[in-house]
Amino acid sequence: MKVESAEILLRVDNLVKHFPIKRGIIIQKTIGAIHAVDGVSFNIHKGETLGLVGESGCGKSTTGRTILQLYRPTSGHVYYNDIDLSTIKGEELRKMRRKMQMIFQDPYASLNPRMTIGEIIGEPLVIHHLADKKGTQARVEDLLELVGLSGRFYNRFPHEFSGGQRQRIGVARALAVNPDLIICDEPISALDVSIQAQVVNLLEDLQKEFNLTYLFIAHDLSMVRHISDRVAVMYLGVIMELATRYDLYNDPLHPYTKALLSAVPIPDPVAEEKRHRTILKGDVPSPVNPPSGCRFRTRCPIAVEICAQLKPEFREVKPGHWVACHLV
Amino acid sequence: MAELLKVRGLETQFRTREGVVHAVNGVDFNLVEGETLGIVGESGCGKSVTVMSMLRLIPSPPGKVVAGEALYQGKDLLKMSDEEIRHIRGAQISMIFQDPMTSFNPVLTIGRQVAEPLEIHQGMNRHQAYDRATEMLELVGIPKAKDRLGDYPHQFSGGMRQRVMIAMSLVCNPSVLIADEPTTALDVTIQAQIVELAKDLRDKLGMAMIWITHDLGVIAGLADRMAVMYGGFIIETAPVKSLYGNPSHPYTLGLLNSLPRVDKDINRRLESIEGLPPILMETPHSCPFAPRCTYVKERCLVENPPLLEAGPDHYTACWVDLETRSYR
Repeated sequence: MKVESAEILLRVDNLVKHFPIKRGIIIQKTIGAIHAVDGVSFNIHKGETLGLVGESGCGKSTTGRTILQLYRPTSGHVYYNDIDLSTIKGEELRKMRRKMQMIFQDPYASLNPRMTIGEIIGEPLVIHHLADKKGTQARVEDLLELVGLSGRFYNRFPHEFSGGQRQRIGVARALAVNPDLIICDEPISALDVSIQAQVVNLLEDLQKEFNLTYLFIAHDLSMVRHISDRVAVMYLGVIMELATRYDLYNDPLHPYTKALLSAVPIPDPVAEEKRHRTILKGDVPSPVNPPSGCRFRTRCPIAVEICAQLKPEFREVKPGHWVACHLV
Repeated sequence: MAELLKVRGLETQFRTREGVVHAVNGVDFNLVEGETLGIVGESGCGKSVTVMSMLRLIPSPPGKVVAGEALYQGKDLLKMSDEEIRHIRGAQISMIFQDPMTSFNPVLTIGRQVAEPLEIHQGMNRHQAYDRATEMLELVGIPKAKDRLGDYPHQFSGGMRQRVMIAMSLVCNPSVLIADEPTTALDVTIQAQIVELAKDLRDKLGMAMIWITHDLGVIAGLADRMAVMYGGFIIETAPVKSLYGNPSHPYTLGLLNSLPRVDKDINRRLESIEGLPPILMETPHSCPFAPRCTYVKERCLVENPPLLEAGPDHYTACWVDLETRSYR
């Protein structure tokens, strides 16, 4: 698809986010840091869906939140249409936030139980002074219809809805301010299988209708294959591989991507029988004290000496196909 | 093959403030020696309640097994005295739970917890039991098992904790192992490790398994037979290849079509099942799936279908033949 030619909407440049680990009650001393995101660079093109996958704790959600400046980056930059979000603040930043919205993972925790659906979806309109009281109600009702709910739900409370319906409310809230970019942070992983497809189809329809750009954060590699144009694979705070969907799934180059893909079960007993699995040994190391050199080397089936000494450069090995591995 | 378990007409209800919830509505299944049965369904379909009822682990009140029998080697588990069933649970039929974090006692060492069933069921002394526990922990792949007997659950990672749980459940050589969503809380690479381990142990130790999951992928490579549950009923049961290759219930078909695949592109919309799963407050007089079904016919609305033969050893609770769209 429109990969290189398309206009760049968001540019992430060497983004780093460390969370300090503190000790002491009155006098706090920083004794270390969690290296949640450690030098991540990528672009998101206008109108595309970039999938960001990885196992829990790899820093994919932190990346999403740092892009929106919900966490301030430790270093590095996030450019939105050439405006550096990491340097602006206050009213200026708030204005930019109108362009970027987020859908959260847990539809039970991300809606205030004491607010009505109308108040929840209408709040962004009030904050950004986009509509008066009457206009807000009309807009909220439109939004509810748009996400497949009914305008009659205006005065209901979140507990009256199922998980899938709540996620639709979250989508409506994100759409309220007409954003360009939506960061979807595991929007379907808390939902049942039959409901997941409903929400994914909704996201795809809305993308077409409003020319939205998505950063789709998930750990479900099958769903990411379905929804993304390009996919980035993260491991311990670093992007290991970034390519078009076709290249990443049909010709994965990084040993981690290969292992990850081979670990995903296929809902087909005949295909499962024929498969050859690469089973990774051990667990993901702690991000407090990540391995030297390549972060993946402790679990890598093909690691050699240089992997422990030198951090592999994230380089473009084929047009649009980026890999961080010495052996590729 | 000798029949180990034979469950007939199992019905479990829960008394709630809103009324009586019919969680399991007459479930029948068999399990023969060495066989792996996969029970699939979405949250609230009654899959966990079915096996918990069988082992009498349903808290009562509010829950109650109101009908049916669960014969284990010819003896009804539901009619046994508490003393008798205690000799079976953990010794001959044992269970692994979803969340490896909350199903251990956090203040007892791993060695103590893995050895406990041996002391209780096999009358071993502490020394013998710890030796056997060490062997078992080695078998499930805990490195330096002997040194880790004195560690507490929080000192293990999620995947390792699930391994310890497997060791604990297998330490008495049970003939049936029930695994209730054992990999749901784990990352894909760790999930692949646990699934391989389970396959390996099943082949070595020859126990029968019931594997409960909502993930049609995980179970495809693992089960011999499948049972799909919906609204507290088994709505389709068949050998694994027959079920995936020739799904004969609209719900099973819908679930399979709603799944994206990691091994191929699906360049169409995902088929979603509209609507929500039911919460049954009374015995249904129509097919519980009818409101969401695209194959629905008149008879579906007046009579709940029993399991009908759809092929060799393949049964489906549907009045309609999905190919011809006429009554079967």
